[in-house]
Formats: sequence, C-alpha cells, structure tokens
Amino acid sequence: MLARPGLPEFEYIKAQSPQEVFELMKEKGNDLKLLMGGTDLFVQMRDRNGGPAFLLDVKGLPGMQEISFDKKKGLRLGAAVSLNNISKHPDLQKHYPDLCQAADTVGNYQLRNRATLGGNICNASPSADMSPAALVYKGSVILESHRGERELTLEQFWTGPGKTALTEDEYLKTIQFPSPPAGAAGKYRKLGRSKMGDLAIVGVAVLGYPDSEVPAGLRFRIAINSTAPTAYRVPPVEEFLAQNNLTDDIFYQAAEDAMDISAPIEDQRASASYQKKMVRNLVNKTLKEIWETLK
Amino acid sequence: MTITESGLIGKSVKRTDGLDKITGCAVFVDDIQFGPNLLHSRLVRSPYPHALIKNIDTKKAEALPGVRAVVTGKDMEARLGLYLIDRPIFASDRARYYGEPVAGVVATSEQIAVEAAALVEVDYEALPAIYDPVEAAQEDAPLLHPDLGDYPVANFIFPQPGTNISEHFKIRKGDAEASLASCAAVAEGRFRLPPIEHVPLETHTSIALSEKTGQITLWATSQSPFAMRDMIAQSLGISHNNLRVIAPLVGGGFGGKAGVTMEACAVVMAQAVEGRPVKLRFTREEEFVGTSVRQSLVSDIKVGCDADGILQAMELTYYFGGGAYNDYGVNIARAAGYSCTGPYDVPNVKADSLCVYTNYPVGSAMRGFGMPEIHWGLEQIMDRLAEEIGMDPVEFRRLNCVRTGDEIVSGMNMTPIDLEACLDKVTKAIHWDKKEAPTAPNKKRGKGIAIMWKAPAMPPNPGSAAVVRFNEDATINVEVGGQELGQGTFTVVAQIAADVLGIPYENATVSYPIDTKYSPYEWQTVASRLTWSMGNAVKAAAEDARFQILETVAAHWDEEIEDLTIKDGLVISFKSEREMPLNKMVIYGLPNENYEGWKGGPVVGRGHFMPTYVTNLDPETGQGTRAVVHYTVGAQAVDLEVDLETGQLEVLNIASVYDVGRAINPDLIMTQIEGGAVHGMSSAFEALKFNEAGEVINPSFVDYRIATIADIPRKIHGDFVETPIDDGPWGARGVGEHVMVQTAPAIANALYDAVGIRFSDLPLSADKIYLALDEKESQ
Amino acid sequence: MANHKLSLIVNGHTEELLVSSNTTLLHALRDHLGLMGTKNGCEAGECGACTVLLDGEPVNSCLVLAVELDGREITTIEGLSNNGQLTPLQQAFADLNAVQCGYCTPGMLMASTALLNRNPRPTEVDIQKALVGNLCRCTGYQRIIDAVIKASEQGSAQ
Repeated sequence: MLARPGLPEFEYIKAQSPQEVFELMKEKGNDLKLLMGGTDLFVQMRDRNGGPAFLLDVKGLPGMQEISFDKKKGLRLGAAVSLNNISKHPDLQKHYPDLCQAADTVGNYQLRNRATLGGNICNASPSADMSPAALVYKGSVILESHRGERELTLEQFWTGPGKTALTEDEYLKTIQFPSPPAGAAGKYRKLGRSKMGDLAIVGVAVLGYPDSEVPAGLRFRIAINSTAPTAYRVPPVEEFLAQNNLTDDIFYQAAEDAMDISAPIEDQRASASYQKKMVRNLVNKTLKEIWETLK
Repeated sequence: MTITESGLIGKSVKRTDGLDKITGCAVFVDDIQFGPNLLHSRLVRSPYPHALIKNIDTKKAEALPGVRAVVTGKDMEARLGLYLIDRPIFASDRARYYGEPVAGVVATSEQIAVEAAALVEVDYEALPAIYDPVEAAQEDAPLLHPDLGDYPVANFIFPQPGTNISEHFKIRKGDAEASLASCAAVAEGRFRLPPIEHVPLETHTSIALSEKTGQITLWATSQSPFAMRDMIAQSLGISHNNLRVIAPLVGGGFGGKAGVTMEACAVVMAQAVEGRPVKLRFTREEEFVGTSVRQSLVSDIKVGCDADGILQAMELTYYFGGGAYNDYGVNIARAAGYSCTGPYDVPNVKADSLCVYTNYPVGSAMRGFGMPEIHWGLEQIMDRLAEEIGMDPVEFRRLNCVRTGDEIVSGMNMTPIDLEACLDKVTKAIHWDKKEAPTAPNKKRGKGIAIMWKAPAMPPNPGSAAVVRFNEDATINVEVGGQELGQGTFTVVAQIAADVLGIPYENATVSYPIDTKYSPYEWQTVASRLTWSMGNAVKAAAEDARFQILETVAAHWDEEIEDLTIKDGLVISFKSEREMPLNKMVIYGLPNENYEGWKGGPVVGRGHFMPTYVTNLDPETGQGTRAVVHYTVGAQAVDLEVDLETGQLEVLNIASVYDVGRAINPDLIMTQIEGGAVHGMSSAFEALKFNEAGEVINPSFVDYRIATIADIPRKIHGDFVETPIDDGPWGARGVGEHVMVQTAPAIANALYDAVGIRFSDLPLSADKIYLALDEKESQ
Repeated sequence: MANHKLSLIVNGHTEELLVSSNTTLLHALRDHLGLMGTKNGCEAGECGACTVLLDGEPVNSCLVLAVELDGREITTIEGLSNNGQLTPLQQAFADLNAVQCGYCTPGMLMASTALLNRNPRPTEVDIQKALVGNLCRCTGYQRIIDAVIKASEQGSAQ
C-alpha cells in the first residue's frame, strides 16, 4: 500500500573485481541487484516494501569513474560518474553542452551528488533528462559480462519504460559518445511543473551543426523524452529540416511533425493533449534558438 | 493602566527560539530519545474507501517474534471529537476512507512492525463510496454514518440524521430572492476546490507510555496539548491528571496538528504494552494519506448590486466535503456560514453552509479555517460583478467593503478594522493603476486584487491562562499552554512579559516544552488567537507580578504604588528617586525596619483571559448579538505573467497588507505575511489526487508539489495597519492565517486581467491554463 | 542481517559504528550517534531536511548507505558552529529572522554552507538552484535567499 519507513533489509556487498560481479550474479540470480547512486533504487524499494536480498555496489570497479575526452575519439564516461561531476566538467561543458544542461536539471543538487549517469540510463525512465541529451550525441553503452564486452546504441539499449537490453549477467561500464560535429551548438530545454527540480513533463534536446551538403546548410538532431515508452529521435523531422530553407514557418512545421510523432499518455502529471502541444512548442523554440546561435 | 518603560511593544526583537533552531539543538518530538525500552508501531490501513469490516485476524501478526501487541477497533466504543464526536480511534465496524487505521501493531523494531502489519488479515465487504459533497448531500446518497443522530454534539452544531449532512448552518437575513430580482447587475457561479494537505516539514509523530499505575504520558507534535489531553481522556475514560501530554516545538502545524490525528492510536497501543513507550511516526507518504485535509468545497454564489454598484443581496450554498469524519469540519462549515459574505456589507443574504460526509480523508482545520475555501469563489464573483456594473475592482471593493460598526451578515456590528487603508496601501504597492508591460514578447501580464476577513472560529468560551515566575536573579520564566509552531508566539509573550515588568527581553524565558502537568491551560493554538488571548493572559500575569513587586517595595519605602515604576530591572521611585534592584527582593522579599519582620516573598504572577461576550446564533436565521470576538481583515494584490507558449504562470509581485490591531513585533508579522503569501500562492496549484478507489495517487513531494525556492516572487511587499480592538494586548489581534486566505482568488483575478479567462476550479496548472488559452484562441 | 563495522569522521571526531546494510546515513547519525539536528522529512531525497556534507558535498543522508562511508568525513549542523560561535551564514539567518518552525533549517544551512564554499559570491539564481531541493513551508524563502547573500557579502560561510 504505502511506502515503508526506512529501507527493507538486504545485504550490501562491495564488488572488488568484475570477476566477483559475474560470479555473484550467477550465484544469486534474481536475489541480487547492482547498486549505483541509489537515488532511484532506494525510493523504489521503500515504495514496494521490498527488493533484492543483495545489493552489489559496483561504483568502485575499474573504469566506472572514468571521464575522458579526446577531440578525435570523443567522450568516455564511466557508469558511476555523478551527474554533478558531469555538469561541472569544463570539457563536457564545452563539447557536450546538452549533457551538462540536462544533468543540471535533474532533481536537486544533493541528489546529483549521488545520482549516476549509468544508474539513470539503466533505470530507463521515459522522462529521464539525460536520455534526450545522450541521444543527440549518439551515445552508446558498453556492457561487461563474463563473455566479454559488447556495445549497443542507446536506441538499442532502452527497450521500454523501465526496461533495458541488459542481460542478467551484465553490468553497464561505460557510456561513450563520438566527437560532436564541428561547430555544433546544443540546448536541453525542460518543462516541469515547478521552475526547477521537477521531472520532465516534456524535455527536448537539440543539437545543430553546419553541414554544407544539405539545402538548409545546417543539420539538427532532435530528441524528446516523456512522450513515448523511451526517449526518441525524430528522423523524419530532422530530414525535413535538412532539406529545406530554414524559416520560422519551416521550424514550426517541423515542430508540428514532431508533435504528431509523439505519443504521450494521459497521467496525473499532465494531460496528453498538453504534452503534445508542449512537444511542438519546445521543439519550435529550441530549434530557433540554436539557429540563432549558428547563424 | 500599566505604564511600560521598556518600549518592547512594537519592537522587532529577535526570536527567542532562533538560536536553538539555527544550531540544530532545538528538540522536536522525533528527537527525544527513549533508550532500548522503546517499542515501535505501525498502523494497518483500509485499502477501501468505504467497507464493512467483517473480520480481523491478528494471529499471524501476533505470532511473529518481536511483536508485543496488535490492537484493533473491535469492541472499542471510544470515539473522538471536538464539536461532533463521530470518529473511532481504530475503525470498528466499517472503514470510511482509504487508509483509515483498522489495526495497530507494536513490536521491538520498526522492521518487525512493518512485517507484522502486513500479516494482519482483514476481511472487508466493499460498500459504495461517494466523494463529491453535492452528491453526498442528496437524499439517495449512500449513508456513511447511519448513527449520526446518536453522536454527542455541541449545542451550536446541527447535524441532519438520516443524511450525510453533519452540519447545516443557515443565514436568513432580509429577502435575498426578491432583492436579487430587482438588482441592476447579478453575477452567479459555481466554484470548486479539491482537498489539499498542510505539508508541514515535520510529520506527525507521537510516543505514548502507559504505566502500570495508570499514568499515561503522551509526547506529541501538537498545536493543542490541552485539547489533545481532553479529547483522549474523555474518549478513553482517563482522568485529566492521569493523562499527561508533553508537546515540544512543532515543525510546522498549519492546523494539521490542531486536534487529535493519530495520537490516540499511540495511547491505545501503549495501553496494550504497559510500561514501555510506544512510538508511532508517520512517513511522508502517511502524512499525505493519513492526516487531515483541508476540506473540498463546491460553492454556488449569486450576488447582485444596484445601479450605483452597491451590493444588495447574496444567495450562497456551500457544500464542504468533510471527509469520513467531521469532528472539526462542522465548525468550519459553521464559520464559513456566519462569515459567508466575505468582507462586504450586504443587507440581504440567504446562505446554507453544509458539511457533508464523503469517503475521503478527514477534513479538518487548515490555515484559514473555511475562509480560503469561500474566498476562492467570493473574490472572483465580486470581480465579475464589478465588471458587469462597469466598475474597477478596487473601486467596487472600496465602495462595498465592510467598515467598523457596520451590521454584518450574522447581525453583529463589525469590530474595529480599516480595510480601506489596507486596500490603499496594496494598490499603491502594486501600482494598480499602471498597466505594466510583460517582461517578454511571449508573455501576457495582469494584476488582480482580493480582500478578506476572518474571525477566530472558536466556541464562545476558549480560555488562556499564564504564569510569570521570577527567579532569584530577576530573570523570569513565562509559563503558557500555547504552542510555538514557528509563528513566533513564544517571542511575543516573552516581549509582553518583559515589557510589563520593565526587564530586558533577554531575561524572559518561555518554559517549553508545553507540558499539561506543569503548564497553565490554553484552549488551542489555532484561529490566530494567541497574540490576542494568550497575550492578554501573559500581560495580566505580568501585571499581577508587577503589582506584587510594587506593593512590597512601596510598603518597604513607605511610598505610594502610583509613584513607583520598574525600568531595566530596577524599581524606581519618581518621588524619592530611590532604586531597588529586582534581584534583591523577587524571591527573598524585603526586611522591615531594624529587621523587625519581613514583607513580600517569591513573586509569582498569574493571569487568565476568556472572552465573555460571544452569543449563540439563531439556528434558523444565523442571527445573533455577537457571533465572534473580532475580525481581522486584509488586502492582497498579485502581479503575474503567463507564458503563452507553455501556460506557466509566474507571480512577479505580491502586495499584502493586513490590519493587525497593534504590531507587537513588526518583523514577526512580516514573516507571517511573506510565508503566507507563498503558502497562498502554492495552495492555488496544490491538490490531493485520488483514483476511483478513493486512493491518494500523489502521496509524495514528486507529485504533490509545494512552492520551492525557485517558484517565489523575489519580493513580497508586505505591510500592516493598526486599528486596535478594545480587548487585545495594546489592541493587538492575530494574523497568522489571514495572510494566505485570498492569494488564490487574487491570482485568478490577475489571470483574468492577463488573458481574459476565468478559472472557477482549483487547482490551477500550466496544463489547464495553456489548454484554456488554446481553446479561447480557436473560438 | 550481518553487521558492518565502520569508521566515520563526524564533525571532526572519529566514530566507530556497527550498522546494518540498510542503515542510511540519516539513521546512523540520529539513532547510532544521537545527532538529532539532521531531520527526517521524506526519506525520498525530495525535501532536503536530511542534508549533510559528505567530504564537503551536500547529500540527502536518507538516500546514502552508512556502510559505503568507511573513512569518510561527514559534517552535520552540529558541526557548523564552534564553541558557541555562529558562522556568518548562521548569524545572517538569525539577524534576518530566516527561521520559523526550524525544521528545514539544518538542511538549509548545510546546503547553503556548501554553496558558499564552492561559490563565494552566488547570484540569486545560483542560490535558488542550490536550494531547490530544500523545502520550506513556513518562511516563503525570501529571507533565506537574503541571508545567503548577506553571508556571501561578509566573505565566507565558515
């Protein structure tokens, strides 16, 4: 019925090595869950008055705290990097502004000191702020298991609300992004019920960059959350923009097309009708803003 | 007449409890440590909004190791109530709201209590549930309280047995129907608001200890320890001196801790495990689901004026959604009834104010006690009527607002107030006549105004008592029964006592926690009444102590009392210019000449205050000589913007002015004005949300959102006027509730000014506003 | 449930604790160490009443496991003032009457202290951003913003 006071009982284990993780995953199966920042997990465990018997803390494993940027290779972020560490990193602010802006809007400052990018991505909330930002930078995830490493795009990784392609014997180690296109400008715009600190009712990430090979002279990447089972890009809209001379009317039409693609559900946070119109208005506004920057 | 030398009245001295709170050493009830003897408890709650309880099986729960007791409402005849005794401690034969406690588990740890609660098996038979007060008031509605006729009830409350109506207050004054028919302009509307929550930062918590000797101690976060004691003692058949309530500082009350919420559950559970303290602490989710709510309201208002814009008549029906139990709610409906017109002079009034049982959580006192609920509709209707008759909303109010001496809706004469002065100050502060440009091209801007009134809603005889006790060094302890919720009452009574006694403010200590074993009686900390009532009692106690001191010193010096005063801790004679330090004689007295005996002794001043002039009201007409002790009035204006692209509303400025009678501590009044404006603004966007099964679906801060530091207007332009009443300390009366009563309709009026749309239902939201704008544009 | 031994440095003192896996830092501070200044407001990371500093950074102690913190430094409200000397921030709260019921105050002070430590001259928007996770129902927040600004003008939080 109601959330319980405090956390349910469980046993905490701090992983000493990836090998130990794989062994424990095999041994404990469903009785074990991986622990990152805990900011989503603990609230869920209180709400459900239950949870796994074992929490395996993987934050200290090799590579989990990595932040490395290389102009050619791009960005590698360890899964356990905190959202505050993302938002204040000078290289990320310069080269991946949408990521920093999105990180900065999640919850509150205290939460962001504990919440991790990897935990956020694995939680796979349809309204996660990091998701649209990660999509416009073409993020991919590197998953570790006893079988080795595999890489999935984020589109492949998120399979539904709260669902990912992570198998029972894998953990997320790294999120990586290619180097962004030259001359790119980006913005994450979020609409919440409060001015700051809320979930996204609608969140839109836009990345624009010069491309002389298309009629528009610019390309846009647009990603949206909260209005579908997972965050999503809108390829038809992006293509439409690329193929046209950019005007206010074109932007508005593109925004309407994005609205038509969106599939929000009615819930206590916002009506479906409002969410759709906000997709349109936020996409429109953000596109024009980036356009102004790049002109 | 007291000659006060200290000059503390009107001075913004620093809070007496400020340092404790800033250093983190202030003790709240959850902070009290009870050692390894402490037991933990958890309530088992009904998953149905309305259901018969066929059977409760506690065997599995009781068998769990570590469980010390499981209590249920079976065979428990005890009922709770202030004005209408209708509420069981644990649901007995039926549950009437989702989340109603049906059993309680006591165990050696919180973990075991949680596990055991899940093992209690309850068989329910679901009954049809009803949530809308208008529907619930109809004859064919499912009956929530078939035994309504048997409940003990105060002689000024009129329940209707055989229905869900727990109170029906009537005003029949003049001939409203005929008058409306001949009015030059009439405005009519239905207004709705949902239940909302108090949301104090400190959740409800209590610890009860029942000794084998029969002595019970109850520690609780409580606004009204004496009322808590009285209700539980009467309910459980305990004598008052065997039930001790200890109430430390309250981490936010707002009316939600005014009566008994869950504390009787703790006492009953403690009685089952004699000799060990039992703690019951609500989680935040329980705070949203299982504590009292501000009642929902559906109000039908029809108002008319003549060709000059002078109000002639009103017809009103108020349907308060009282929730499952209406023991406080009935008085809210009553108060809304005798103040039903709002702060206006209206000669013809027909009003029916109903409190109606619904299968929602218990409706009870929340800041404003019916006034925010009714002003939501009233202040919008007045704006509409002003528009109908072609008058500016401020001018309309200036013309019609109530003035000192006016005969008001209940037949009494208006007590001293100056609402026009409040209006003047507010309109100046908000630049009412200036149409201001929005801050961006995608925004529209507007201003709105609303006025209010409220009287303390109390029985006719609520009393305050106080003691002022000197220590050897002439510091004093001020002993009261009223509670510090953050409003600053301890500071004000320390000021009053120190001022009267001519000692430094820092030398006055208020004795807390309030403890019914030692503290003098205080009816309740509600109704914005403490500065007035408890202030009077403390003033009287200090004057009593002052007299004792001057009498002793006068005799000692062979002078007249009239020639003496006390200043800075010294008794001084105007005549002889002699001085006597207080610390020489406030305990020890003074020797006679040549030590031939002594005079005086330990100085203990006592005082009390109780109004003696409130009368009953005629049950058919609502008329009477004196419905209430006094009114406080105020005006608020809001300047806001709407983002046309998102529907988001941003309040740019709030101007807020109240008539407080006398500002004993001006800065504390300003803190109430500021906090109240933000609370009022937040309340316009708040709503408890329910699904069809009567379950609260937003029991957390994620989805029940209150104003954050990012949502506020940067400056609240607050001010006050001082029109003294004749029986307040230096003319003072309270303002703690008034400051948020009319913010929601002021916002609605400003919204209309900005975008030309009226919203008759709360809550507001960007969603609603945007879709309404969208619809308006497409027409 | 196994018991975990750990060493926490709380307000400059090393404390030895024996906790369960599911003991949050909030409960370790209150129930194991008797430090009651840190408050339980929601246990969901939303209200900020439980804010303490972990190695100088503000966290919601209700969502941090004590067992993860062996050897780490914790600062609570009790560790702010020194021998009765209030910090400039605490003094500003007192001077400006930025406290009413007091329940949010410890969390507010810890989050604001951390803000001033990392940003000695914050703008009002900086302050709002830093404190949006600290809810207050009483004050309306204006004086809290004013107090942080006043303290920043005086040089530092501590």
